[in-house]
Amino acid sequence: MKAKLEMINGMLNDGVIGKYAIAGAVGATFYLEPLATADVDIFVMLPTAPGSSLLTLGPIYDCLRARGCQAEGERIVVGTWPVQFRPAHSALKQEALTQAVETEVEGVRTWVLGAEHLAAIALQAGRAKDHARILQFLEQDAVDADKLIRILARHELLAKWETFKRKYL
Amino acid sequence: MDKDKERRKRLASLPFSEKLKILEKLRDRDRAIAASGLRKTKVRAPIDKSV
Repeated sequence: MKAKLEMINGMLNDGVIGKYAIAGAVGATFYLEPLATADVDIFVMLPTAPGSSLLTLGPIYDCLRARGCQAEGERIVVGTWPVQFRPAHSALKQEALTQAVETEVEGVRTWVLGAEHLAAIALQAGRAKDHARILQFLEQDAVDADKLIRILARHELLAKWETFKRKYL
Repeated sequence: MDKDKERRKRLASLPFSEKLKILEKLRDRDRAIAASGLRKTKVRAPIDKSV
């Protein structure tokens, strides 16, 4: 994981990517017990090419391939982990990224999405595994309920939250 | 149930670096199971029509 993060930080320093943060199950593991997963989701701000409004993951993949990483479908294997870079295209994901928590992994600086944003993004995604993750956040008191509600209200997810509560809580 | 809650709490309180090492072990175990083909065959109990 250390080598992977160093490589991603290298891209950040070189301007290949903007701010990034670990999301998905690995991000949730920052707050919860380790959650089995096959890959690492990274939310990323993509710099636009001069004179263009087009956002593309191409430069990330080119950069990592040049450093010996192998593409595997939508993912690219960095070190021993398949990594999926996801552009933060929605308002919720952009907010999550700007408010990501700074941390260190084996001495390497990195960022992880906040617990409440991870829960809100899981609610928005709405798959069974996302619902299970929200329940884990709630059961382990890993989210600030007021903060979560404010995020859900800002991003028009309160109706979805009510449905979730009726079904699971 | 309380023991399980306690175990999960203890795991959740580990430093992130430690949790990532556990994640890597879980991932490797998953890959080994997938490679062994154990997940490919779903064995269903035959329906007992006599009931």
